[in-house]
Amino acid sequence: MPGFSQRLGRVEVAASVAMTIKARELRAAGKPVITLTTGEPNFASPPHAIEAAHQAALAGDTKYPPQDGTPAFKKAIQAKFKRDSGIDYALDEICVGNGGKQCLFNAIMVTVDPGDEVVIPVPSWIAYAQMTQLCEGVPVLVNCPQNNGFRPRPEDIDAAITPKTKWLILNSPNNPTGAVMTADDLKAIAAVMREHPHVWILCDDMYEHLIFGGYDHVTMAQVAPDLKDRILTVSGVSKTYAMTGWRIGFAGGPKALIKAMVNMQGQATAGISTVGMAAAVAALNGPQDGAREQSVAYKRRRDIAVAMLNAAPGISCHSPEGAFYVFPNVAGCLGKTTAGGRKLNTDEDVCLALLEEQYVATVHGAAYHMSPYLRISTATADDDLVEGLRRIQTFCEGLH
Amino acid sequence: MSLTADRLDRIQPSLTIAISTVARKLIADGKNVISLSQGEPDFDTPRNIKDAAIRALEAGDTKYTDVSGTPALRRAVAAKFKRDSGIDYKPEEIIISTGAKQVLFNAMLATLNAGDEVIIPSPCWVSYPDIVTLADGKPVFVPCPQNNGFKLRAEDLEAAITPKTRWFMLNNPCNPTGAAYSAEDLKPICEVLMRHPHVWVLTDDIYDKLAYGGFKPGTIVAVEPRLKDRTLTVHGVSKSYAMTGWRIGFAGGPVALIKAMDKLQSQSTSNPNSIAQAAAVEALNGQQDTVEAMRKVFEERRDLVVSMLNQAAGMNCSKPDGAFYVYPSIHGCIGKTSKGGKPIIDDEAFVLALLDEEGVATVHGAAFCFPGYIRISYANATEELREACTRIQRFCEGLH
Repeated sequence: MPGFSQRLGRVEVAASVAMTIKARELRAAGKPVITLTTGEPNFASPPHAIEAAHQAALAGDTKYPPQDGTPAFKKAIQAKFKRDSGIDYALDEICVGNGGKQCLFNAIMVTVDPGDEVVIPVPSWIAYAQMTQLCEGVPVLVNCPQNNGFRPRPEDIDAAITPKTKWLILNSPNNPTGAVMTADDLKAIAAVMREHPHVWILCDDMYEHLIFGGYDHVTMAQVAPDLKDRILTVSGVSKTYAMTGWRIGFAGGPKALIKAMVNMQGQATAGISTVGMAAAVAALNGPQDGAREQSVAYKRRRDIAVAMLNAAPGISCHSPEGAFYVFPNVAGCLGKTTAGGRKLNTDEDVCLALLEEQYVATVHGAAYHMSPYLRISTATADDDLVEGLRRIQTFCEGLH
Repeated sequence: MSLTADRLDRIQPSLTIAISTVARKLIADGKNVISLSQGEPDFDTPRNIKDAAIRALEAGDTKYTDVSGTPALRRAVAAKFKRDSGIDYKPEEIIISTGAKQVLFNAMLATLNAGDEVIIPSPCWVSYPDIVTLADGKPVFVPCPQNNGFKLRAEDLEAAITPKTRWFMLNNPCNPTGAAYSAEDLKPICEVLMRHPHVWVLTDDIYDKLAYGGFKPGTIVAVEPRLKDRTLTVHGVSKSYAMTGWRIGFAGGPVALIKAMDKLQSQSTSNPNSIAQAAAVEALNGQQDTVEAMRKVFEERRDLVVSMLNQAAGMNCSKPDGAFYVYPSIHGCIGKTSKGGKPIIDDEAFVLALLDEEGVATVHGAAFCFPGYIRISYANATEELREACTRIQRFCEGLH
């Protein structure tokens, strides 16, 4: 067989996907598996979005779309940025992608040359480092420890920046920790970034509407408008409106960058599904109570998860301000042996033993560049979540 | 340091889309423009397919699917390859992507190292060389002249293969010429490929349902099964089912290659739109009568357009066997001056003058790496086509 490219060796299948597949196999084998790995809401897409897609299909809205998005969708995005964050983006400062993921991918592809560095506060979603490596860039990971609420410290970011740095990537609320950055946090980072005018700033705000208890979502272009010409603000409808399968993301940023990203996308996939865009317009322009109701559910589940995990011996769980994940520390489980006789040396061992002995699927922290932790998704019905957490308690109680 | 990556300089916006944009603008300004530049059927997506999408919407098929597509769609694609081409692909030998374009993009990123060569018969779809270049590869064009029906000669392919050749790409039927290869035509090409086991083979068969006058396009793996373990057979629903806006393409190929493509797709866009996948299942498994109805209409239009263009002074139009394009030579027009006083120095000048003076949008051959010709899409209403060809005749008569 003819060969493959070197770049292929630099990317891997996401651990969350690998765990989801393992869980599915066990379930197919008849095991009572509870899956706490997925990064998608367990709610349905809003009825008005579904109705809009329905109407678009019937109306024959099935032709090639403009690559940067339909005018109606771009206007809805423009209004969303204004309404939620007070940011003014012109229509030519907005583009759309097949998921927020493609917006990030396009941005990295059009900016990162071999050897360029991308500063990524960790724990982080694995895709940032993977995309960087795909483009022959170098991920520079900045640790954000639990004792600082998993939030990046400006001095650590400052220390990580070199003349080769191309991007700083911020993700608030954060996947996998749920950590939320405040306006003050962002202002302090903005002060650092003013000293480094050669660096782009990417704000991945995909979870922006899933924030609890007194916190508000803020984003860099809002707190530091003077930096707007080098900020890319990325969001999408997946998490806010439970529309993961539709694959609709979008971004606002300086015209030259947006133009380059659209150009890039033209070579990769061209535009995005027309029917999906029609649904996204309805989601953005329609009633917003769905997102608020979901936040209430996620907060309730977070409280359940944090309390139950902290009651499990060997686990210490920080209570996050947003998203639908908790990220418990499992250091107290390492070095021990499970009821089934498995020795636990790493968080991956914990994760696999938990799946095999208690049929609870989670993802290990190493997959997010920080060990020893687990990522547990609360985007699961309350009953399943509670049962899953109970099994984790049983698992921990059986350690010796 | 530049803010953008070098790879960005290697890509250009698709020239075909650039002309559609100008035409759209003239229309918006109230000009009577007939667009013969688009690469999509003028038909609407058939009703049974829309209904399937609507059922999926109502059933809540709005979650992430497997990155490489739902099992139902992969099964439908496997059945399609078996039914139409007699090729056996297992579901794990199939990937679903956001348009056939993404299939090509994934395949090139997965296999090309810097300097690897990709043999592309020209004229060709402009995205082939662009995607190759983006993946650090080098397009090697093999001209396929009009006097051979714009078809590749086996000896020219043989001469182009070097130790650096990684891929051979064939588009059958071809955009922009409509040239198509029967099983018999493909035999000598397969013989050459059998002698060069280091070369991957890509056959893009997306137009193969659109063939005329009893012509039946062949496909590489059916002609030479021994090439199956290094051939990627690319297809999609866009052209056969008038589903361009849904963005669903797919491919069958060896497991190792499909897996590699899946890995890349997981880092750039993840799964294609879930609703569009459900629609594609119905397209492939449902009634096929509308495909034949559209094909018949296209055939009538082809005959009309070829005959009218051959009556235009200075034009020479071959009658192709497939797709919905014709590719007339305008060599007899070059060097003249239009009625409006524009010197027709090349095919681009011809296309721009034709658009400006007669309101007919076409694409110049240079955009397909083969100048001296223009591409005319006959995916347009018959009366519009008649009017457009009359205008082209008038334009050519006015040349002096």
